[in-house]
Amino acid sequence: MAETTWTNKDAALTPERGANRLKYVVGGILIFAALGFLIFNAMQDTTQLYVTVEEYYATPERFAGKDLRIAGYVMGDTIRFTQIDPKTTRLEFSVVDDLSSPGQMLTIVAMNEPMPDLLQHEAQALVEGHIEDGVFHANQGGLLLKCPTRYEEAAQLEG
Amino acid sequence: MIADLGRIALLLAFVASVYAVVIAVYYGLVRRDERWIASARNANIVIFPLILLSCTTLVISLVRGDFSLEYVWRVSSREMPTYLKVTALWGGQAGSLLFWNLLLAAFTALAMLRHWRREREHDLVPYALAVSTVTQIFFLGISNFVENPFLRLATPAVDGQGLNPLLRHPGMIIHPPMLYLGFTGFTIPYAFAMAALLSGKLDDTWIKLTRRWTLVAWLFLGLGLILGGRWAYDVLGWGGYWAWDPVENASLMPWLAGTAFLHSVMIQEKRNMFKIWNMFLVLLTYLLVIYGTFIVRSGVISSVHSFAQSAIGPLFFGFLGIMLISSFVLIVVRWERLKSHNQLESLLSREAAFLFNNFVFLGILFATFWGTNYPIISELFTNEKATVGPPFYEKVNGPLFALLVLLMGVAPLTMWYRTSLKRLGKMTRWPALAALLILVALFAFGVRSWVALLGYGLLAFAAIITILEFARGTQARMRKGESAWTAFVNLTARNRRRYGGYWIHMGVVIMGIGIIGSSVYQQETQVQLQAGESVALGDFTMTFRDVARFPGPDDLIITEATVDISRGGQFLKQLTPRTELYTRSGQPMTIPSARSSLTEDVYALLISWEPVTADRATFKLYVNPLINWVWAGGLIFILGTMVASWPDPEPRTQAVARRRRAVVATD
Repeated sequence: MAETTWTNKDAALTPERGANRLKYVVGGILIFAALGFLIFNAMQDTTQLYVTVEEYYATPERFAGKDLRIAGYVMGDTIRFTQIDPKTTRLEFSVVDDLSSPGQMLTIVAMNEPMPDLLQHEAQALVEGHIEDGVFHANQGGLLLKCPTRYEEAAQLEG
Repeated sequence: MIADLGRIALLLAFVASVYAVVIAVYYGLVRRDERWIASARNANIVIFPLILLSCTTLVISLVRGDFSLEYVWRVSSREMPTYLKVTALWGGQAGSLLFWNLLLAAFTALAMLRHWRREREHDLVPYALAVSTVTQIFFLGISNFVENPFLRLATPAVDGQGLNPLLRHPGMIIHPPMLYLGFTGFTIPYAFAMAALLSGKLDDTWIKLTRRWTLVAWLFLGLGLILGGRWAYDVLGWGGYWAWDPVENASLMPWLAGTAFLHSVMIQEKRNMFKIWNMFLVLLTYLLVIYGTFIVRSGVISSVHSFAQSAIGPLFFGFLGIMLISSFVLIVVRWERLKSHNQLESLLSREAAFLFNNFVFLGILFATFWGTNYPIISELFTNEKATVGPPFYEKVNGPLFALLVLLMGVAPLTMWYRTSLKRLGKMTRWPALAALLILVALFAFGVRSWVALLGYGLLAFAAIITILEFARGTQARMRKGESAWTAFVNLTARNRRRYGGYWIHMGVVIMGIGIIGSSVYQQETQVQLQAGESVALGDFTMTFRDVARFPGPDDLIITEATVDISRGGQFLKQLTPRTELYTRSGQPMTIPSARSSLTEDVYALLISWEPVTADRATFKLYVNPLINWVWAGGLIFILGTMVASWPDPEPRTQAVARRRRAVVATD
């Protein structure tokens, strides 16, 4: 313990320690403020509204032109992958909220995107992009797919 | 039949865990009866062989193809190779939870075996036993009553569904066990920290005792993160390795908290300060482990790879709440006794540097937590669900990581208590100048991105200082008469913690070089080519030769394109990007093919092809500069951690070895 600097409790009352503490409190507040600023600043242009198909159709005007992330289940028979010209491909498919009672469908178009391996019937798609004339245009690299539910579908269990 | 044995063993393990806690708490800690504590400890140790038996029976069922079991039907199929049948143990929710239980039991049993007989640890171990077994009760309860892998189908199936093809990759086979080892490993430091609070033995015994456990957990978590990145790069086919996906963040967050903790414990050991802070950090790490498991398994935040929505979400949430509140109460109760009498003397000191490092790590953690949970937070406060994507994390965490690299350079030069500005200036002057020269050279070679310039400048600064530390240490040993090589090796071997840490820092620098290069300078193009046609990207040219279709092993149909990669007219390598179709499940897999070198990867994907004529195909081509530095740095990082966590020889074994040598000498 010889190398430890001891400051007894009374020393806590000395102005020096008070000033020291103030220094750290101010420093801490500054660090938090900087972090808050970084987060606030980054959120200004990276936040996307997260909507389902039904939510979109309820108030389409609210989402027009906005940066969105849409979640829905893929209808397998709507998937089309076309080569428009050597430089351009177009991937198109439709998603719904609930496969067992498909209500309104939303068409998604992704230009120059590879066809994702997981893009198939029942897969859950999360797509980033914006809506124009009722069609959802995916951002480059904005196509995420989750494993189709059949990998974890409810099985008929005993008891 | 054999599966029933596993099911019974799993149930017995649960019974043993409940017994261990009840006996340890009531008879052991309330009534202070040593014999009962020993019994509780034995009950805890027996959990491991029971779960091992349970896992073994499940693996046997998987290998034999017992499709009357729902789990076996779900994750395996007859024609899967045996090694995949074995690893299907962690290919689905129920099995991976059982496997999780196995690893947790292995850690606790090892801790109970290792820390039992030593006098100084005696006060802590019974409490640590109780705390870690509470975690086991929770996970064993889930495995037994919510996600039991031994449930049977109403009518046995003839064949199974087969493992998700995305998981049929060597990286995927070892990535989950590593991550789980990391996750479960953090239970031990947490349990001993809580033991310190419960027992009132608040000195740094618990820290000394768990330092190595923490490092080992941290090692596996780091390895899991790196392997996960490698898997994404090899399999997912988008040319990247990290997407700030909620599930990735879920494993990064405990790593960040754990890294802060690893640095901060050094201050407590050296200066007897920050005791409360360390308690919070170890609690935070543990809670983030449980929270991470919760995020991955509950599907609460939509993500690419979470297991399907599951009923275990509320249970995890409840457990998380209980552990958070009870641990917090414990810390508050001991608050006065944890307060340190020592204080920071100067902002220019080793302890202050560690404190800044902690703030930055927690800053990154907070930003990542905020981003990951923003869908929940925004829905709670604005009634609108909103998300943030990778650009958010890059914007917030980028500057914070830069600050960390700067600290990584300066901190090793600071001294405990205080360092004079003059001394620090003197020591950083030349490295800073050298880094500046490197920066100017990069600019002269055409680097214009300010992110790359700033990043590489800081990395160069940190690297130079770290290398100088090695040089100074080696020189000091050479003055004592060691040869240069011996001195260099001994420097690390004799000061494993310090120089293992510096190796880790070097690994981070090398990874940083790769991360900046591959993210700032990645190039990509997508194009349809006729056989014989070429496309240029950066310095490289890719020429399409042909595409062929043939049957592979199992139910696979492989479509493979052959392309030539050349640079400046000189042929470099033939690549074979392909698509594999699992016909039974209808699941395609796009397998990239890459030409790897130290300077870059040329990474090609086959997007589509003309099935009839087979003379036209569409490709996506990436050039990923310096990407292999990420993996090389990762390797150095892991080796450095292994050096730092390598156990010291036990005092007893040293004595035995001395005696043996004496015996050999007299012979």
